[in-house]
Amino acid sequence: MEGKEIYRLERVCYNYGHQGVLPPLSALKDISFSIRHGEHVAVLGANGSGKSTLLKILNGLIFPMSGIVECLGGKVAEATLTGAFLRRFRERVGFVFSEPDAQLFCPTVGDEVAFGPLQLDLPKDEAERRVNELLNMLGIAALRDRPPYTLSAGEKKKVAIASVLAANPDVLLLDEPTNGLDPRTQVWLFELLRGLKELKKTFIIATHDLSLVEDLTDRVIVIAEGHEVAADGPRARYSETRTCYWPRI
Amino acid sequence: MAPVARLPDWFKEAKPDICLTGGRGSRRGFVEKTLANLESFLRDTLYGENASAKQGLLQGITPHVRIAGIIILVASSAMTANAAMLGFIVAVAAIITLASRVSFKTAAKRVAPSFVFTFILSLPVFFSFMTPGAEVFGAGGAGINGLRVSVTREGFFSAAFFLTRVTTAVWLASLVVETTTQGDFFKGMIRLPIPAFFVTALFMTFRYMFILVKIAEDAALARKSRVIRVAALSESQRWFASRATFMLKRSIALAQEVNMAMASRGFNGVVKVIDGKGMARGDFLWLGFTVFVVLLSIRF
Ligand SMILES: Nc1ncnc2c1ncn2[C@@H]1O[C@H](COP(=O)(O)OP(=O)(O)OP(=O)(O)O)[C@@H](O)[C@H]1O
Ligand SMILES: [Mg+2]
Repeated sequence: MEGKEIYRLERVCYNYGHQGVLPPLSALKDISFSIRHGEHVAVLGANGSGKSTLLKILNGLIFPMSGIVECLGGKVAEATLTGAFLRRFRERVGFVFSEPDAQLFCPTVGDEVAFGPLQLDLPKDEAERRVNELLNMLGIAALRDRPPYTLSAGEKKKVAIASVLAANPDVLLLDEPTNGLDPRTQVWLFELLRGLKELKKTFIIATHDLSLVEDLTDRVIVIAEGHEVAADGPRARYSETRTCYWPRI
Repeated sequence: MAPVARLPDWFKEAKPDICLTGGRGSRRGFVEKTLANLESFLRDTLYGENASAKQGLLQGITPHVRIAGIIILVASSAMTANAAMLGFIVAVAAIITLASRVSFKTAAKRVAPSFVFTFILSLPVFFSFMTPGAEVFGAGGAGINGLRVSVTREGFFSAAFFLTRVTTAVWLASLVVETTTQGDFFKGMIRLPIPAFFVTALFMTFRYMFILVKIAEDAALARKSRVIRVAALSESQRWFASRATFMLKRSIALAQEVNMAMASRGFNGVVKVIDGKGMARGDFLWLGFTVFVVLLSIRF
């Protein structure tokens, strides 16, 4: 398992069309990289550089205009992401959205966390067990019957994370996970990610939080304002040159 | 250090030092109030703190059986052509309301809009030019354009019957809404032999309506924070009309995001839920009773 290639992107381009009178808007240009099992990657870049777009592509939610995305040995495209491969893909790859309001759509927190496992046809009692364990682990068991819209931003984020972890994915895509968390919850999230790291999970984090990058990732991909990969390499290299490097992103 | 962005000069002008005193308490704008009402109504219906937490007749019945029974009762009220039978169903609705500890005031609030609407629709039926028959209340031979404007006995009865039938159906349906949480409601629907597509569509519609209202309300608040005086009604209406397409687009974008979040977690068109318990004795009694009522209504 260790070191096996999980993602391979080749010259991926994406633009948001349908802008009415406006011309299509480029969001990603010529993105190529590959990610191996067990890597912990930070995706950095200025606002609007295309990080969220990249994660959505990696999760097979939108498909590039040109270029190739491969995941777990299969091609991720509208035509190929079906049937057994779609299922395997959804089981293995989890995505925590930056906007928890979009992610939480069930009537109660309990239903929300159970949604993924049930969609993946886990036995009902197993789903229930996972819901209980996760809610206890994240310290939000008391929220179980609350409608997600009544929660605070940090609580929503916890529920969003729980709802993704419930399916036990091998690969986690996290879009700005520390946004809106208080310092204590941030520490909690760091601990959680550290735990997942020990379990050899792969994660790809789009973030502006440099302490998260320093503590938990071992590789950094920087997307420039031109929507291209500006740099890609081990994190340590960037830490050394931090002072002259960070201001550029 | 990156250079601090240069602020334009007008930023440096200080506001004159005046004492801020409170103005007259301003009323909330009409649009804002309407939206807030609509939103709280939706919240009540969708997620509401209703009578579902109380101990009562309907609350004690497993959700999908509860919904099925109410659907059967609604069907009976739609099928019967007999006034006494309809009266009986009204009495049943009243008893269920009491036994489920739903207040009549809440039920009336739910029923009122459709009552008014149906009343207006059925107005013509009262009069002789739609329903000929014996006059009970008339303009004494006077008429408009030769039409005799008078209320006939037949007209009165058929309109009243229609009105009662619709009101009873809405009343019964509102009892489900009042005694069931949204989660239980969908779980109940899924367990009933209703096409999954239909339940999913309903689920998405609720979700979407909620997003739309939330966005409209946020927009109203965002506007309020940037406008000083209380806008005239016509002005805020115009503003809202001009923003309607924009808000629709925004809500579609957010709804798309929600769809993505669902797809991301393995959703493929069918909502699956953890099944509740099996049916208990009370459930069979309830179902038996409602089937009895519908058989009666077919007979009469
Ligand atoms: N739904 C959309 N329709 C049109 N353009 C979009 C849409 N979503 C994003 N964009 C545009 O695509 C570009 C990349 O957006 P993206 O959300 O991926 O940026 P990001 O790197 O995640 O930014 P941030 O750090 O602010 O989250 C931006 O220029 C943005 O304006
Ligand atoms: Mg983003």
